[in-house]
Order: sequence, then structure tokens, then C-alpha cells
Amino acid sequence: MSDQLELLVEMGRHFAATQDIEATMSRALERISELMGAQGGALFVLEGDHLVCHASHGPIDVVGLTIEKGKGIIGRSVSNNVSEMVWDAQSDPSFYSEFDKQFDFTTRSILCAPMSVKDERIGAIEMVNKSTGDGLFNQDDLTLLEALAASAALAISNARMAGELAEREVMRRELQLAAEIQRGLLPSEDIEADTPVCGVNRPARIVSGDFFDHFALYDGRIAFTLADVSGKGMNAALLMAKTASLFRCLGKEDLRPGRLLQRINAEVCETAMRGMFVTMVAGVYDPATGRLVLANAGHEPPLVHGTDGRFTALSAGAPPVGIPPELTGGGPVPEEVLHLGGGALYIFTDGATEGYVAPGKELGADGFQEIIRTGQSGGLGPQARIAGVADALCASGEALRDDVTILVIDDTEPLKRRLVGDQMAPSIELQDMAAQDQPIEGSLCAMTLPARAESLCMVRRAVGQASETCGFNKEQCQDLVLAVDEACQNVIRHAYADSEGDMDIDIRRENGSLVILIRDFAPQVDVQAIQPRDLDDVRPGGLGVHFIREVMDDVEHLPPPDGQGNLLRLKKALKV
Amino acid sequence: MDIALQDQGGAVVVAVSGEVDLSTSPKVRDTLLDCIARGSAVVVDLSGVAYIDSSGVASLVEAYQAAKSKGLGFCLAQVSETPMRVLKLARLDQVFIIHDTLDEAIAAVA
Repeated sequence: MSDQLELLVEMGRHFAATQDIEATMSRALERISELMGAQGGALFVLEGDHLVCHASHGPIDVVGLTIEKGKGIIGRSVSNNVSEMVWDAQSDPSFYSEFDKQFDFTTRSILCAPMSVKDERIGAIEMVNKSTGDGLFNQDDLTLLEALAASAALAISNARMAGELAEREVMRRELQLAAEIQRGLLPSEDIEADTPVCGVNRPARIVSGDFFDHFALYDGRIAFTLADVSGKGMNAALLMAKTASLFRCLGKEDLRPGRLLQRINAEVCETAMRGMFVTMVAGVYDPATGRLVLANAGHEPPLVHGTDGRFTALSAGAPPVGIPPELTGGGPVPEEVLHLGGGALYIFTDGATEGYVAPGKELGADGFQEIIRTGQSGGLGPQARIAGVADALCASGEALRDDVTILVIDDTEPLKRRLVGDQMAPSIELQDMAAQDQPIEGSLCAMTLPARAESLCMVRRAVGQASETCGFNKEQCQDLVLAVDEACQNVIRHAYADSEGDMDIDIRRENGSLVILIRDFAPQVDVQAIQPRDLDDVRPGGLGVHFIREVMDDVEHLPPPDGQGNLLRLKKALKV
Repeated sequence: MDIALQDQGGAVVVAVSGEVDLSTSPKVRDTLLDCIARGSAVVVDLSGVAYIDSSGVASLVEAYQAAKSKGLGFCLAQVSETPMRVLKLARLDQVFIIHDTLDEAIAAVA
């Protein structure tokens, strides 16, 4: 019996020290066969509806052998979770004779001990053909096998748990990486920053289905968005990442929020995950005027907080992003134009108003407005005010019910600046060519401006400076300014006509020429129809095209980059 | 852009200064057509104009045509270098009556 004890202790130690249960079991089967005087033994593990051999010892290597769950003496042992000692296997009704036939083996006696931990069936260890003594397995053999089975069962169960834990740990780490990348997609939340547009995001889980973003455009206006993807899990986080990227990418190209949302919708629908959608608000705010253009695709109504202290809700203009355009007609999302006049606009996800401030008590729209009002009268800046709302929702100590995201566009400070005349006019900075030995090739100045008459004076200033820098004389500079002004006027008056939009102006120095690219996003104009007028016919209007052709060396309508809008290239050679 | 009106010797002198562009030319046009509608001969003083575009030029052309059809005098005076260059580009320096001094202009239209 001391040999048997020694074996058990040794096996226990091996199981504890190694993850390789199969190697340990092979050795154990070898030792136990010797001790019992058995011809061989095998360990079977229950995998679904089958028992699969994972370790064996004896004349035939049966590792990998698979037996149906209920078949044979071993199947019976596992099903009943009871040990079996069969002295005459051939006459046992459960005996599985196929094995003997397949391997040309004669099974005489079987000793089998099931492996289980609590209620979990793990498998069984089976010994065959005792050849010492009277050739019959006895109670001592069974006790030993049962002890070994118990210790093997525990080792296998532990290993499985360790595996699951490791897998869970890998998942957890991957999730954390995903969250990190996701945070990187959001603008930073800086309480100190003196910016009129800012936001907060507090995910309910590790990753979030909400996002906000904002960035400054060339002319000082600020593009912004806030969106809520249906769901909160990894799928929502992935769709969020896609939508956020689309906004960043298309938002710099298309400055009309209604059409931007239309384009994002088309892109999302092309590859959308079924049944997922995004409620989204996009807009452009101009700190120089307080004017704000907003488009809302199915999102919670944003709140305008007027200087009179009143909150006004703005309803959604279109269904959410992710609804196929063919179902909705596919037009641009309707836009709304606001003049903040020193007030503020709050855009938020329902996680903000439906979050709990105390167990079972939602913050609600009133609570939201109250925190904002109190923060404002307490002199808090926009970032601190919305952080106050987010903190109130986290204060209960409970996990958030839903992601909380809030974006604010606060016109208070910009209005003050406008009143003291410190217009936040975008500065046009030309690259300092005088400081360079070699004149710069490429863009000297690029800007995006609203296609309005008021923008022209900025265009003239930029063209005037660029032409002067390029060495044109005073008269030529004046001509160039006139020509570009006229080309922009055509965009404003003819391409956009009664609609609103933007124009991109890129002033470049290329191959010994000053090149001005003027791009708009209006419907395409019929280039053939543009003709300079006959100067003998004295009448008002129609002179612009003549001026442009007279001044420039080359005027060409190019196909616009993505087939949208119009692109005009004006060229004037630099005379050395 | 600024516009100053002054009755002088039987004509209205409309002194335009600053930048005449798409956003300001409608005001020039309205002012000129207004004077003509009231039956005045008009002298447009362009000495203070720093910039004028095709829409500004078009306002002048329209006013000139309106004056002609009513048999009223209309001329330009003291055209500074910048607007003169634009008028030349449009070949309109040969169409408008242009005087170097206000006195000459007033004497011609009144």
C-alpha cells in the first residue's frame, strides 16, 4: 500500500507542477499498470457527446480513440458516475466488442473509475486485463484507481478554469486596448481650455457607442458632431469608430451639415451591420458671427440656452443614420440656422437625461437644465458645466446605465469679443517666402469660406498678398485680385445662386506660375454656356468672365476631385 | 464703402469711396438710380475708390443708361488709378464721359 500512496503523492505533485496533464497521466497510467499488474490503461475525457482518449499505456496506443458517450462499460461508468469492476468483460451486456475486433485484442477484465468534480462529469480512467495473482481486479485496485481518478479530475478541471481565465484576461486586455483607441478618437476634455466648443464622454462599459468631435476649419469656423450608436457593446464601438472617421474625413470636405449627414448615411448603409443605426447631430458654428448651422438625423432634440435663461428644444429633421437612403428618399438632412447671440447650444445623448442621480431617480431634462443654470450663474466655463452634469450621474457610485456624452457650443466669450470689436477674423498666413533661399512650390494659402459676398474681401486680401509675394507689380496684383474676386462672385451668384454653400480657395505657386484653384460644392455648371460678353454691347453685367480671361494666362474648368461641384483653375505666369 | 451726396451747380455729385464689390455695389446702384429718378444730372466722383469689380462697373453702366434714356447728364470724375484700370479692361473708358476735375464735370452735365 505504501507504493500506492507514493504514486498518488507523486501524481498530485506532478499535476500541481505542470500544465501538461496528458504527459503526467501517461506516466501515471504506466505506474499504476505496474502496481496493479494490469496489461494497460487509458484516460478518456468527455467532450460533448463523446469520450476521447487523451492518455494511454499498454500494448496498443489508443490516444485519440473516440467512443460514443453511453457506449461500453466505460460509458456506463461515466453516465452513472459509478466505478465498474468487471471480471468477465465478454459476457457484460455493455461490452463494446468493436474495440477488440479493430485492434485484434482480447479484453478479459476491466476496472473503471469515473472522473467528476462536483456535478461536472469529466471522463473516466479504465484499466484492462489484470495479469498478476488470480487475474482479477480487487477492492484495493479500485480504491487506488478512484483516488487517482479524483486527483486527475481535479487537475483537468483546474486546467480548464485556468484556460478560461487566461482567455478572459486576453479578452479584457483587448477590450482595454479598444477603449484606449476609442478615447483617442475623441477630442481631449480640458477644463482650462478657453474654447467655445467642447464635450464630455463617460462610457457605461469599457467601450462606448457614443462620440463627439469638433475641429476648426480654415476660416475659424468650427465643425462639430455628437452621435449615439444603438447598443453599448463592441459592435456599437466599432460602428462608432467608423462613423467618427467618416465625420473627420468628409467633414473637412463638405461643410454643409445636412449634406454631410446624407453622405455619412450612404457610406454607413453600404456596409452597415444589420439593425444598427446612429442618431447624429452635425453642425458648423462661426464664432465671428454666432451663426450656427445644424442638421439632426434622428437624435434627441438639442437644447438652446438663450441669454434670457430659457431652454428651447430643437427637434430632429430626419431619420437616423443607418436607414437606407432608398427608404427615406435620400436627400440631405434638413438644416436649421441659429444665431446664438451669446447663448449656448447643448447636444447630449439620452444617457445624460436618463442617467440616475440616486438609485431609481433619473436626472431628467429639468435636472440637466438645473445643473447647467447653476454652473453658469456660478461662473463655470462650458467644459466645467457639462463635466458637472456627467459628475452628477457618476456620483451615485452605481455603474452608469448608458454612455453619457454631452457637447456644448457656447457663444458667451465669442460674443464678448465681437462686442469689443476683436473680431476673430481668421488670419491669413502666407508662408514667409522672403526667408527662403528657394521660392516655395505648392500652396501659399488655402482657405474655405462661405460663398457669400462678405467673404470676398478676405479672398482679395489673400490674393493681393500672395501676388505681391510672388513678385508681381502693383498693377498686376490689382488685376489678379480682380480676376479671382470675379471668379468667386460667379460661384456665389451663379453656381450657388439662391442656395448656401462653401468655396475652397487654394493659392499656389507651381512651375513658374501663380495658380489659383477655386472649388465649390454647388450643382455643376454648364461650362459651354460661360462666355465673355461682347464689349461693344454696353450693358450692365456679364463683365466678370471677360475680366478673368483678360487678366489670366489660362482659365480652365477641371473635373472636381470626387465628381462633386465645380473646380476652376486660374493661371498667371511669374515674369522673372 | 461710403457714399456722399452733394448738390453742386445743378448736378448731384455722388462721391463713392472705399471698396465697391458684390456686397456694396447694390447701394451704389440704388443711390445713382434714385438721383436719376428724381431728375438730377449726376457726377460720380471716383477719387476715393480703392477697389471696384464688375458688379460696381455694372452699377455705373446701368445708371448711365437710365440717365441717357431720361435725357439727363451723367459723367464720371476724378477717376483714380484703380477704377480707371478696371474701366479700361472693360473698354468702358471709351464709353463713359470722364472728366479730370469736378468743376469740369459739373459744368459739362448741368
